[in-house]
This record gives sequence, C-alpha cells and structure tokens, in this order.
Amino acid sequence: MNTALINMAMQTTLAAIEPRTIAQRAAESAHENLWITAGYFLAAIVGVALLLSFLGMALIYIERKVAAAFQCRIGPNRVGPWGLLQTVADTLKLVFKEDFVPQMADRTLHMIAPFLALLVPVVLLALIPYSPALQVADLNIGILFITAIGGFGVMGILIAGWSSNNKWSMIGAMRAGAQIISYELSATLALLVVVLFSGTMSLTGIVQSQEDGWWIWRGHAAGLCAFIIYLVASTAELNRTPFDIPEGESELTAGFHTEYSGLRFAFFFLAEFINMFTVSALTATLFLGGWMPFHIGDWTSFNSAMDAIPPSIWFLGKVTAIIFVIMWFRWTFPRLRVDQLMHLEWKVLLPIGFANLFIAAIIVLANAYPYPVAGQ
Amino acid sequence: MGMIRSIETVTAQRVIAGKTISVSVVQRKQTPNKLSIAFNAVLGLLKGMWLTLTYFWSPEKVVTRMYPENRDTLQLTERFRGNLRFKFPNETAHKSHAALLEHITHETQTLPEVASEWIRDEDPTRWYHNCTGCSKCEEACPNASIRILTRQGEILEDREIDRFVWRLDSCMFCNACVLACPWDAIEMTGGFENAVYDRRLLVYCLNKLAGPRINLIQDEQDAAVRARMIDPRERFGGPIPMNGAGLPNLPPVALPAPPDVSTGAA
Amino acid sequence: MSVQVRTLDDLLHAPLDADSELTTQEYLVNMGPQHPIAHGSLRVVLRLDGETVKHVIPVPGYVHRGVEKMCEHLTYRQIIPYTDRLDYLSAIMNNWAVAKTVEKAANIPTNERIDTIRTIMSELQRLQSHALWWGVTGMDLGAYTAFLYGFREREIIGEIFEETIGARLTMNYIQPGGLMYDIKPDFAQKVKNLLPYLKGCIEQYETLLSGNVIFQERLRNIGILDGKHAIALGCTGPVLRASGVPYDLRAVEPYGVYDKVNFNVVVGEVGDCWDRYYVRLEEMRESVRIVEQLIDNIPEGPHATIRYNEEIILPEGLHYGQVETARGVFGVFIASDGKNKCPIRLHFRSPNFNNLWIVTAIASGWRIADFISIQSSLDLVIPDIDR
Repeated sequence: MNTALINMAMQTTLAAIEPRTIAQRAAESAHENLWITAGYFLAAIVGVALLLSFLGMALIYIERKVAAAFQCRIGPNRVGPWGLLQTVADTLKLVFKEDFVPQMADRTLHMIAPFLALLVPVVLLALIPYSPALQVADLNIGILFITAIGGFGVMGILIAGWSSNNKWSMIGAMRAGAQIISYELSATLALLVVVLFSGTMSLTGIVQSQEDGWWIWRGHAAGLCAFIIYLVASTAELNRTPFDIPEGESELTAGFHTEYSGLRFAFFFLAEFINMFTVSALTATLFLGGWMPFHIGDWTSFNSAMDAIPPSIWFLGKVTAIIFVIMWFRWTFPRLRVDQLMHLEWKVLLPIGFANLFIAAIIVLANAYPYPVAGQ
Repeated sequence: MGMIRSIETVTAQRVIAGKTISVSVVQRKQTPNKLSIAFNAVLGLLKGMWLTLTYFWSPEKVVTRMYPENRDTLQLTERFRGNLRFKFPNETAHKSHAALLEHITHETQTLPEVASEWIRDEDPTRWYHNCTGCSKCEEACPNASIRILTRQGEILEDREIDRFVWRLDSCMFCNACVLACPWDAIEMTGGFENAVYDRRLLVYCLNKLAGPRINLIQDEQDAAVRARMIDPRERFGGPIPMNGAGLPNLPPVALPAPPDVSTGAA
Repeated sequence: MSVQVRTLDDLLHAPLDADSELTTQEYLVNMGPQHPIAHGSLRVVLRLDGETVKHVIPVPGYVHRGVEKMCEHLTYRQIIPYTDRLDYLSAIMNNWAVAKTVEKAANIPTNERIDTIRTIMSELQRLQSHALWWGVTGMDLGAYTAFLYGFREREIIGEIFEETIGARLTMNYIQPGGLMYDIKPDFAQKVKNLLPYLKGCIEQYETLLSGNVIFQERLRNIGILDGKHAIALGCTGPVLRASGVPYDLRAVEPYGVYDKVNFNVVVGEVGDCWDRYYVRLEEMRESVRIVEQLIDNIPEGPHATIRYNEEIILPEGLHYGQVETARGVFGVFIASDGKNKCPIRLHFRSPNFNNLWIVTAIASGWRIADFISIQSSLDLVIPDIDR
C-alpha cells in the first residue's frame, strides 16, 4: 500500500494548486491551447492507469496477507522483502501463460469479455473525488452515471460465461446476472438516501455536504441503515464471499471464468479487485465524508488537528477500512445458496431499503439533523 | 428461515440390536419469533467475525513453519520413518568423526545421514555392519522394495551379504523390514529430502562392505585375513537393473559428486 | 424405493425432458473426477434442470488399485500397511480391523495395555479425522478459514502420532497381537495437555460455523435421510446415527476397552445435513471424554504378545471382523484355506462405499449448492470407495 500512498500524495501535491477537477482544467485550457488540453487528458489517462496497476498489485497483496493473518499463516514472504513482489511475479506468470480459447467457444466474445469486465470499474475510478484537487471528472449527475455504468458490469460476466461454451461457466454467468441485477436495486435505494440528504447528485457536492458531519451518523438511523444496506449489496455486486455464488469454487470450479487463462484471467482478477476499491471508495465518499476530515462539533483544537492530516490520507484511510471489512467478511463467512441470496435481496433488503428511503425523506423534510446544514 | 438458537443434547436410553445403550440426542430449538431470529442471526455473524479478528491480532498464533529456512532447528522425532539405513556400530566410535560430520553438515547444508557417507575413510572398520543376509526383511516387505543378494564367503564358508538393494521409489515406509530384522541391522532415519533428477538414483545399495557380520570379522585376529573377508560396495552400482549403473539404451547416470573430504581434513 | 440395475451408459443416454413451453431443457454435467467437491477423484454425473438436481449418478473407480486382489498375495502383517491407504483418515482403525479379525481367527491373545493404547489411538484418530472433516465442510460451503483451523488441529494430533509411531498419515501401527511400538513415557502427559486445547477448539468451531446463520441455512433440512432408508442402503457411522439409529459398534459390539468407558452414542432426530454435521461435532466431544477416562491409567504390560516374525496362519474357513472407523463400519472378510500365510480371498467392507450411494436417494430435487452440502456432510474418502 505504501507505493500507492506515495503515488497518491505526489499527485495530490502536484494538483493541489486549485481545487478543480482535471476535466475542468482541460475544458478551461481548451480556449487557450489544445495541446494543454491533450496534456491534461494524457495525464488523466496515465494517472488512472498507474492507479489501476498499483491498486491491483497492492490489493491482491493485501488480500493475501490479510487472509493469512486470519488463518494463522504468514502469507506470501518469498519474493522480495515481506513478499512484496509476489504479485509482480504472479502477474508475470499470467502474462506468459498460454491464452487458451476452447475450441467450440465464440472466439470474438470470449476475447472481448474480460475487457468489458474491467471497463466498468476503470470508468468509475475517474469519478471518485480522491481529494479536493484530485478528481478526473465531476459530473452533475454523478450518482446516476455510477448506477448506469455499474449495471453495465454484468455484461462482461454474462458474455464470458456464455461464450466459453462450458456448462459451469454458463451456470456461473446466469447466477451472476440474477445476483448483480437484483442487488443493484438495493444499492441504488441506499444511494438515493444520500442523494436525498445532500440534495445533489454530484460526488463532490455530496462530499462537501458532509462538512458538518458524515451521513452515516448525521442521517440518524437512516444513514447507518443505508450504509449497511449499501455495504451488503455492493459486496454482493462484487461477487465476493458470502455472495460469491457465481464463482463458487466448490460448486462451479471457477464459475464464469473457468475457461479463461493467462492475461485474460488476470483481467477478470484485476476487475474484481478494482471493483472492490471502487465500491469502497464510493462508500467512503457517500457515507463517510470522502476526503472530509473527522470533526466533532465545536472542539476547535481537535478539529484543526484533524484538518492537519491531508484530505487524500483521510480518503485512503476510510477506503482501507472498508476494504478490510469486505475482506473480513470473505475470510469469515460461508457462502449463501442461490435462492437464499434472492430471498435476502427481495424479501429483506429491498423492503428495508424502501422503508429507509421513506424515513430519510421525513428526516429531510423535517430538517431534523443533529447539526444544521449550511446553505439549505 | 429460522435460526437454531441453541443446540442441546439430551441423554436417553435406546435399544439397538438387543442392547440398551445410552445415547445423546441432538435436538434443535426453534427461535420463537422473527425479531429474535434476526437478532440471533446478526449476533452469530458478529461472533464469528470477532473470532477471526482475534486471530488477526495475534501473530503469536501463526502456525507456519518456514522450511527450508528452519533446517537447522528442524527436529524430527526419534522414530520418524524416513530413509532406510544400515546401522554401522563402529561409525561413531571413530575419533574426530563427529567433528568432521558436523563440519560437513554445516558447510554443505546437508542432513547428517547423507553427509556421513561422504566422509572418505580409509579404515574399513567404520563400515562393519550387523547384516547376515538372512532375507527376513525381504520377506517382510509388502511391495518387494528390498532385494538381498548374498555371496559365498571366502573365509567363513557361509552365505554372507553381497548387496542390500533398497528401492526407495517403491518403498512405502511401513517399517516392516526394521521390525522383521532379527539382527538389528537396519533402521529408519529422519532423512526425507530424497529428490533426484533421475529415478535410477532411487535404487541403491545400503551396505558399504560385502562381508559377514561385524562380530565374525572382529573375532578374526589376523588383519590380513580380515581384509580378505570384505569387499567395498558402492552406493550406486551392481548388477541390478535401474540400480544407478545404467541400462543398455540409456545414458549413464550423472552421480552427485560428494565434496572432497577425508578424516584428515578435520 | 425400488432397486433397478442400470448401467452408466443407460443412465447417460436416458431421454431427457424435452423442451416445451413449461419445462426447460435438462442437461447432464460431470462433477468430477477433477472438481473441488470430488475430494480426490470421485466422478458424479448430475442431471440438472437449471439449478435443480434431477438425478445423481456416482461413478466411482478412478482410484481403483485392486487392493483386495493384491492382498491375496500378502501375509496378514503385510496387509496392514495397505489398509492405511484405503480410508487414510482412519488408518489406525483400519489396521485394527485387520488385526482384530486375524487375532480372533488365529487365537492370538492381546492384553489390557495393548487394548487401551489401541483405543486411545483410535479416538485420537477419530478426533483428527473429524477436525479435518469440519474444515473441509467449511471450505466446501465457502468458509475457507475454517479449513485451515481444522487442519491446524489435525497437525497437532499428528505430532503425537509422529512421536509414538513415526508417521503422520499411513501409520501401520496396530499389528496382529500387539502394536508396532510401545508408547513413550511422556505420551500420557502430552495427550493430557492436548485435551483441554481440543475442547477449546471445538468451542471455536461452534462459534465460527455452527452459530453462523448462513451455515445453518445451508445445512438445515437439506438432504433428509430417514432411519429406515439409511438402514436399507447400508449406511453406517455418523450418517446412520444422524438418521436416528444409534448403531455404533463401539457400544453395540464393544471391542478394545470400549466396554469399560462411559460414552454416549450421538444420534440425530431429523437426518438432514445439519444432524450429520452436529453428530460429528458431538462425537468429537465424546472422543475427548473417552481419551480422558483412559489416559490416566494405562495398564502395564508388553506391547506385543507374539514375535514379529512369527508365522500367522488362519484356520480354514471364513473370518470376518469389523470396527467403527470415523466414517462407519469397516469390515474385513478373509477366506483362508488353512495352509497358506496369505488369504485366498479378501474383501473390505468399506463405510464410504455404502455411504456414497445415498446421494442418489437424497440429493434429487435439491439445488447444486445443496448437493455440495450433502456431499460434504457424508464425509467421503474416495480411495476407500474405489479400493
């Protein structure tokens, strides 16, 4: 994680001249010099690509170390100091492996599917406000965009399962389709609660609306409830234990990516981990105040001490905490069955989500926050 | 959906096959209402998470053993059934042997069992053995991993061991040969690092000398006669096919070269 | 439940439900021999309708080594290391089955010390086997951490075996007329130190999996096998006892020193996967109880009553002996002609072979995920099925 952290801090310091997104800067510079615009675009692409590779490597390493700690093991410790280069070695191995396509597979779709799966989290990565000055693009319909693009993620999995021409892959893909689309509903309902509270769909706007307190506790029980629903629903969308039925190792061998090898398998693997980061980042942004420091009422000295920590560190800390919780779920719980999964969504989470949205609306109408909201 | 709140066993008496035996019956209690089901469900999940978290925070509970880094401290139990080996009663009686063995083991990072055979000692008394070639071990072996070749003794006019061929590749380490041996001539040792690049190297001769038992040699007073009683035997070599020596159509085996050490070196 | 003899070919080419407006197309899929649930190499052909299992066809034989035929050329002592390799998780108990049969047939006496040590070792092995099974069940249902916790306890008991016997898996410990080695002086103390730790571990098992709502939902009321059918299908061990039949050879036909210790036979009420799970967990507690009662007063005496090289020839006739392994009744059937050192015919009645076939009876109509629960609740060891 150190490397990613340093990278993030460097980018923060470079871009912390003015709190504007890279897209805004690019748009402004378009009036003066198109080369600068192109430079901004290049910087954004390179930044996201760097972030992607760092995140992939770091998260896989962290996952393995965390799993080892839960299981009384040491984890990777052979390649490099503390096994830090293990992920690099694994990636190299995957790069040089045969890219195997089954004979009866739909070749084109089989080739495309991993890229589709990776596309979604990468696009979402561009929307996340990492710090006041570091964000690739801030859309005024941010939440809508996230929901729309997030729902697209299932395409890669479905195509992968279908094109492999393998019964296990097919079952896995069908399970994934049913699961992701179902849990999309609960996740969206939980997002709507935050939209109600903050009155904006822009992610930066949502972060700024939490200046007086994070929505998880400022929104009374509704905020907390929405947070839990979102965490559960997005764990399900990530296909991670206890909701890993599309991959379900002991049932479907590897589910939708059974027939993938080499770099294409690596893409699915990377997509899973980037997705995990994206979901954690969104959770942090929406419920835990994004890069906002932790403030307590009028404790000015405490608040200023909190302010001294850079916003990107705050953001990273929150994301790390949520990632840890998701990993903790994975290394503790067994897996649900398909119909239990559907039961949990349609009969438990969805009614609670609707009720929660209703309560949130009442709170917003009554303006019954513990602290007054500035400008509302 | 219903949570089993508590699992209890009730002791009872049951009759089966004409016998009354005491049984404990696993019973399950259904939780009365949905609220307590939900509460217990969440509580159960949290308890599980707390358990794994306690392991997360306690690095002292790590059970991993770092092999091969722990070779120096690796303690195999006295009865561990690894490689089969001849017992050489005179071996440790030799002066400076122990020091040399330690030196080689340390220098080459090898197990003592292997290093011991590298010590080139001109004195053959070190390799006197207990084996009489009675073939009890060969009879006891369940999968024919042992082959005893005997020869007619030159001096004592009795059958004596020529080659004790042990096939490591088919051995299942059941210890039957050691238990069957009436003379206490063989033992199982802690050696387990048997990997080689050519499987012909997994068949070898355990004895270092062809000849009679140790006491029969030592009873002989004349040193010249004692020398005629015995013949050296290589670890690999001999008439058995696959015995390291090579087969007609196969290239000869590259034997691992032992380091150049002798008793004088220590 | 009627018995129909059909070949695998018949089953695989049986007409599947055709496409129509109301039913979906059925399809066959191979679960194994290379599959995580195969636990080795068991092939199971599933006839599926979407997620629903319509029919289960187990196809054993992928690890068939002809052990019984090989044993016709081996002496009774040489047979014992081969039994280690059948149900390798109950190696000592399998050894005991052969030793018991041979001792009974050839009138070889044993003494109190031998019987006590055999019983202690068997119960330790049962604990070891159930600990591994618990972990594997967790892994099959997706809780991978449970697998490593189960393995940890297994290795700790393995240390004790290694000290006494010299091997951890294929022990070849119990011999006709005694034991391979006597126990070491500090054996009793080491076992006594271990028992409280194992009790604590069983409590952790309860917290991590038994108390987990997901785990309970995956096992409860799944794959119900009633006592009548369990007997009809020849099930033994925890699978039979979970169906409410308290048949345990340790209590019904006591051997060793089982008649001198107090323990309960654990039975279930429903016969579902949960009962099979919990019966095993309770059996671990009972095993700890048995070892606790025996470990303090191991009688003195020699560890073998006959010399190792003594020739054992069974009288002419058919001999049968059986013990309760961790998975059920393991029986040894020996036909001897009274002249040879080797049996002329030999058959192992292995518990897993009979327990396997109930999947066809109980898994139909459940989902794929339930089939996984059923498979792991049966605790199959494949080399024991194929022999």
